[in-house]
Parts: sequence; C-alpha cells; structure tokens
Amino acid sequence: MGTEQLDPLIHAPARLRIVATLAALPDGDTVSFTRLQDMLGLTPGNLITHLRKLEDAGYIDTEKTGSGPASLTTAALTHKGRTALDTYTAALRDLIAGL
Amino acid sequence: MNGEDDAPEIATSAEGHVLDPTTAAALLDQTRRRAQRQFDTRPPLLMLLAAVLVLVCYGDIWLSVRGQDPYTGPSGTALVVLYTILFSLVAVVVVVRSRATSGVRRRSSRQQRAAGITFATIWVSVYVFDGALYNAGVGPAIVFGIYPAAAPLIIVGGAAAAYEAAQEHWGWSALSLAVVALAALAAYAGPANVWGVVGIGLSLLLLTRAAAQAWHWQGPAWARTDGH
Repeated sequence: MGTEQLDPLIHAPARLRIVATLAALPDGDTVSFTRLQDMLGLTPGNLITHLRKLEDAGYIDTEKTGSGPASLTTAALTHKGRTALDTYTAALRDLIAGL
Repeated sequence: MNGEDDAPEIATSAEGHVLDPTTAAALLDQTRRRAQRQFDTRPPLLMLLAAVLVLVCYGDIWLSVRGQDPYTGPSGTALVVLYTILFSLVAVVVVVRSRATSGVRRRSSRQQRAAGITFATIWVSVYVFDGALYNAGVGPAIVFGIYPAAAPLIIVGGAAAAYEAAQEHWGWSALSLAVVALAALAAYAGPANVWGVVGIGLSLLLLTRAAAQAWHWQGPAWARTDGH
C-alpha cells in the first residue's frame, strides 16, 4: 500500500509540523510568526516558504499588521486546513492499520 | 530516531524526502502533543501545585477551627496564610498563562474577558451574600464555617461546569461538577470538619485531573514509536 492517498501538501515533514502545531489552537485563534518559528525550530526563510504553499492551498490564513520592526505576522489554520489534516490523519491511520 | 532534539533536522530535510507512514504518524503525534503542551494554560504541573496549595490552605483553616466549642471561625493567622497562598497561586497562574499564550491571539478573547468578569462577580457576590447572612443574625457555624467553605465551590463550580460544557471541555466540566458534589456533601461534616473534607477532596480531584491530563498527553497508541 502506498502513500498516494496522503495529501502531498501536508505529507512533508515541515508542513506536517506546521499544520499539526496550528491545529493545536482552538478554531480561529492565530499565532505569531515568531512564536511559530520558536516552536518549530525552522529558519525564517524555510517557514515562510512552507507557509506560502499552505496559504496558496487555502489551508492557512496569514495576516500582516503594522510595518517595519513593529510589524506582526500571524498564521491560523483555516476550516479547509483543519479538514485536510483530519482527512490526512484518517488516511495515515488506515495505512498503518494495513501494514 | 524520533527524539524531540532531532525534530528540526527532520523538518528541514529536502522537499522530496520520502516520509513513510509510520514516521509521519510519529512526527504528527509528537508535534501535536508538544504543541498542546506549549499552548496549554492549565498544565498538569499547575494542577499539581494547586492540589498541594489547596490542601495547605484548607488544612490550615481546619487546624485553626477543629475542636472549637462553640464554633467561632478561622483565626486571623489562618486567614492571612490562606490569602497569601491564594494570591501566590493567582500570580503563578498569570505567569503560566502569559507564557502559554505568548504570540497567540484569541478569536474569543472578548468572550473570555466577559467570562472572567462574570466569574469574579459571582465569586464576590457569594461573599457579599455571606455578609448579609451575618447581618441577619445567622450564627458563626454557618457564616464562618459551612457557607464560606462550601458555597463558593458550589456556586462558582456550577457556573464553571456550564461554561466548560459550552466550550466542549468535557474533562474540565466533569471536574467542576465533581467539585460541586464534593462541596455539597462536605457541608454535612459540620462547620469545622467541612474545611478538612473539602481540602482533602478538592486536592484529590485536582491530582486526578493532573494525572488524566498527563495521560492524555501521551497521545494515541497508533502513532507511538517509542517503547516498542
């Protein structure tokens, strides 16, 4: 049994960790880019790249407020992202059960 | 190797890195548990600390009132100890909460502020009502014994159970209901012993909650890779 049924956008180590971390927040809550980076231990460039991919897929929402050093970027899992993670988790469970 | 220390290394591996289902499940489980721990505003250690402090507070009052005949109420020293510990616990809760929510913006922050104000109002009103009982000539066994030991837990606990149930926090709702039942039954122990019964019972409930929460953090067995 292969991993074809696993969402390729989530089935990558960094993005899986990003989505799982954001899913730990209640629906609609956001986390700052800095806190997310601290929690995941990713470089800013790496995190931005993966956030963009997830945002393009509609799995997360990012918002930037302010400008310059005082600017704040936040990210949150969308309803679509939460559903995608649930589907991914179920598919993963089925795959493991079939091993 | 799926230890926490090498997680960033796994995460920054190449985009085309093949992730097998077992490794993915372990990574998902590990990340989810770690995030839950880091965002949790009521971690098991805080519950453990609260359990100890509750036992000290209520035990301190019980020691000051046991054997009183007629019952006159807790001593001034016991009340000073109680409030010192209570304010210390509140300070610890504020620190833990601010660390857990650092960088987090709650969609429901206005709702939580409103809930906080509501709970504070209910809590203060319980004691104001106790003053009214004293003013009406009700004896010290009720005014300085059964009522202040049990009523705040019944009234605030009942409100907390409803609030937590509305948030679908079933564990916290069950804990609040257990506190309500404990306080109601403890009132039968009389004005002096109610303090001891509530202290031991509440402490045990908090310990149980801490243990349940710690167990919950172990994560689902299907995704575990450690200990195999």
